[in-house]
Amino acid sequence: MTSAFYLPLGLEEGLETTVQRFGPAHDALELHLPVVTADDLTRWIEVLREARETNLATLATSHIIRSLDKVAARFLDSRDPARREAIDSLSRSGRFTVPMIERALDDAFQPLVRGGITKWLVSELGSVHALDRPVAGPGGILRRAHGPEWMLQIYAGNVPALPVWPMLSALLLKAALLAKTSAREPLLAPLLARTIAEVDEKLGACLAVVWWKGGSADLDPVAIRLAPAVMVFGGDEALAGVSRHAARGAHVVLHGPKVSLAYVERRALRFAGLRALAARAAQDVSLYDQQGCLSPHAFYVERKGEVSPEKFTEALASALEAASADLPRGEVPAEDAARIQLLRAQARFEAAGLAAYAPTSVELMDPPGSRSVLGNVGIHGATKVVESSGSTSWTVILEDRARFEPGPAHRTVRVHGVDGPEDLARALRGSVRYVETLGLEASGPERARLAAVFTGIGIPRIAPVGRMQRPTPLGTHGGVRRLLPFATWSTVEAAPARSKPVRNAPARRRAPGRRASR
Amino acid sequence: MYLRTYLLQAERLLDWTERESRDSWEDDFQRFALGLFRYQSASIPAYHAYVEHLGIDAARLTDWHGIPPVPASAFKSHDLSAAPQGKEAAIFETSGTTISRPGRVRLGTTLLYEASLLPNARRHLLPDGARLPAIVFGPHAEETPHSSLWYMVDHVVKKEAKSGAWIVREGVPRWDLADEILEEAASTDQPVLLLGTTLLFMAYFERLASADRRFALPAGSRAMDTGGAKGIRAEFTRDEVRRGFATYLGIPDSHLVNEYGMAELGSQFYDDTLLAHVKRRARMEGKRIPPWVRTRVLDPETLREVPDGQQGILVHYDLANLDTPLAIQTEDLGTRVGNRLTIAGRLPAAEARGCSLAFEQFVEAERRMAPQRTEEPR
Repeated sequence: MTSAFYLPLGLEEGLETTVQRFGPAHDALELHLPVVTADDLTRWIEVLREARETNLATLATSHIIRSLDKVAARFLDSRDPARREAIDSLSRSGRFTVPMIERALDDAFQPLVRGGITKWLVSELGSVHALDRPVAGPGGILRRAHGPEWMLQIYAGNVPALPVWPMLSALLLKAALLAKTSAREPLLAPLLARTIAEVDEKLGACLAVVWWKGGSADLDPVAIRLAPAVMVFGGDEALAGVSRHAARGAHVVLHGPKVSLAYVERRALRFAGLRALAARAAQDVSLYDQQGCLSPHAFYVERKGEVSPEKFTEALASALEAASADLPRGEVPAEDAARIQLLRAQARFEAAGLAAYAPTSVELMDPPGSRSVLGNVGIHGATKVVESSGSTSWTVILEDRARFEPGPAHRTVRVHGVDGPEDLARALRGSVRYVETLGLEASGPERARLAAVFTGIGIPRIAPVGRMQRPTPLGTHGGVRRLLPFATWSTVEAAPARSKPVRNAPARRRAPGRRASR
Repeated sequence: MYLRTYLLQAERLLDWTERESRDSWEDDFQRFALGLFRYQSASIPAYHAYVEHLGIDAARLTDWHGIPPVPASAFKSHDLSAAPQGKEAAIFETSGTTISRPGRVRLGTTLLYEASLLPNARRHLLPDGARLPAIVFGPHAEETPHSSLWYMVDHVVKKEAKSGAWIVREGVPRWDLADEILEEAASTDQPVLLLGTTLLFMAYFERLASADRRFALPAGSRAMDTGGAKGIRAEFTRDEVRRGFATYLGIPDSHLVNEYGMAELGSQFYDDTLLAHVKRRARMEGKRIPPWVRTRVLDPETLREVPDGQQGILVHYDLANLDTPLAIQTEDLGTRVGNRLTIAGRLPAAEARGCSLAFEQFVEAERRMAPQRTEEPR
């Protein structure tokens, strides 16, 4: 039996629990879940607030970082039971295969070790000590950051490892945490909390991770109303619920549904680098089966490169076929497969129509294990479909014009020929709010120019193709930073200069007013 | 040529619906389907291009299984009708399931559609031969000329009902009117026929619940509810719907008939409940596939036909589709056993999909921004 919750010592006593089966019928896990009542929630929140006061509020940030660094190292160590349990339990649901779960853990924890957490903190708060004491900031002003007393975090279960950075961000802000897991993935968050408690019981005392049915009228509002800070991942309805009940003045960050896209500049389209480019693109498409917001649903590929959008389509198809062996796809719900089949049929139908109006004699090499339906280059709709044979494993649809429409996921991707970034900007008009990341394949001044165009239309994150699924904690998510939205500040302004300048900080090697880096 | 094809087809279908006590007419189906396919591949340009592209010679095809289905979504991207432009008897809009804008189903004549819908409705809603006053939880067809659902309901009322009353006026559900009509119906011995969308019925029940009001309709009253746009894609479970009808209208389970249809198909699929009750036999699972329709169930991954009882993608071959292709690939899932079809209800979304933007959420959001309509056409 697996415990799918984590409560600090003492709170588990007298707790009523139920058992739920999780995962495919033939290989289900029996999950031990607490029966949560509104009274429990208010009591737990009280206990968490006290625990934070005793254990966390005055703890030096360097101590927290050391402990979290150890936690990260454990999830990166293939012999560590925490990593092994994470891989075992996450793979049981069948939604993601083991190689993908390993990648998810690596990508979540690697940026944190070897000074990563410190860099993250400094990048947002200016100094690693910002939460410990007033430190010199720009303009000679001393600044001290405060995290919320506690945070409510509501996770989604669409991608593995989603709870990792949010949970750590609460502790880095010296905030206690009440986290609600997702029914689709209720396992990693409690395991992470347990591991944190094993490494550092002071931190562990400030965490509670439970599941209750989202949308429960008697539970959600109780937690949301009391929370001074809320971070929530979810669909429109979940977000609306949080907005409705959040306390006035609460720090609320809502992560709603989004997708990602990619853009390939013509100078990057060379036969010499095509296989490598396609392999990187296929990684971005394949990881987490397009269940997350970082997954590209379409590639906008410039015409007039050495490699045409059509050749890119074929190369991407071959690379997706290769990726389906290295990074096998998880189980696909029948509804989603039906949607993919309809999309393919529609694309074939469009391609056939175009072929009829301008018969083509183009012969193309098909990647092994695939079949391709050819059409001629036309104006509207799909001109070519390349798909895995005998399964919905992967699908690439070539369209001659740029447009934006998220696909049915599970490695279904469109390639659009474009003349320049304006074509994509036009296609995104009114829809930029749905875009999380733009993968950008371009180099030198072209990259800078295109990044200026795409950030100019409001795309929150630009990343190299092949690294779309590996965000850095130093960047943004959903257009906001990871710690800053929850921080408040005390500032100490410098006294006016008298005859002799007064130093406003303990004299160190650094001149006052210069930005401290640590 | 056009008229001749139509008349032949209609005659066959009419003949068929008359002798429908036998369910299997494989040879006839084969012949009619192939004839229809030859006609459609010759006279629907976009379909012609597709068939040709696939390398299929319509004249030589000998098995209806080889007729290439069109994806239901193709009605949104292509004109898929043999009817001459501007001479349509009806233009139905399809629901936006995959692409936000609706598709158009242009019919040169509705006679064949009517020839299919009427005997089917009669068989499942009026198996006792009753002639009842109808109460429609929806708009009059005149208000929604592009809805195949309200066209169908209107036609049933016109041909089979004693009288008709409509609850939705100018796009607005008039609940006070519903109260009035039902109150009157409940005070007499005259049973009634209710026809409408599940969504509207449930909205009305919710209102009755908050007013603590219920009606006991006379015995023999019955209701047809339909998912409207998407079969039984439901925010409610079937049990909740059944309970609603029993509690608020006094219509028992045996007199509640769920219907599944789509604008792209001339024919509909009905529950067996009332028919079984009247014939005093046990109810059969699922909905009946009319004898002039074949539904293939394909494995969602491989597109190979699955054995009876196994779930898959539904592809319909409907002889009532004359002007538009008879073979339609849907994104609906279901299981078939013999000529019974069970459409898989989609469970209410148990959980949000997190930060990934689901396809349908996007479409949904886009649609919400488009001008509102009370009733989706189908």
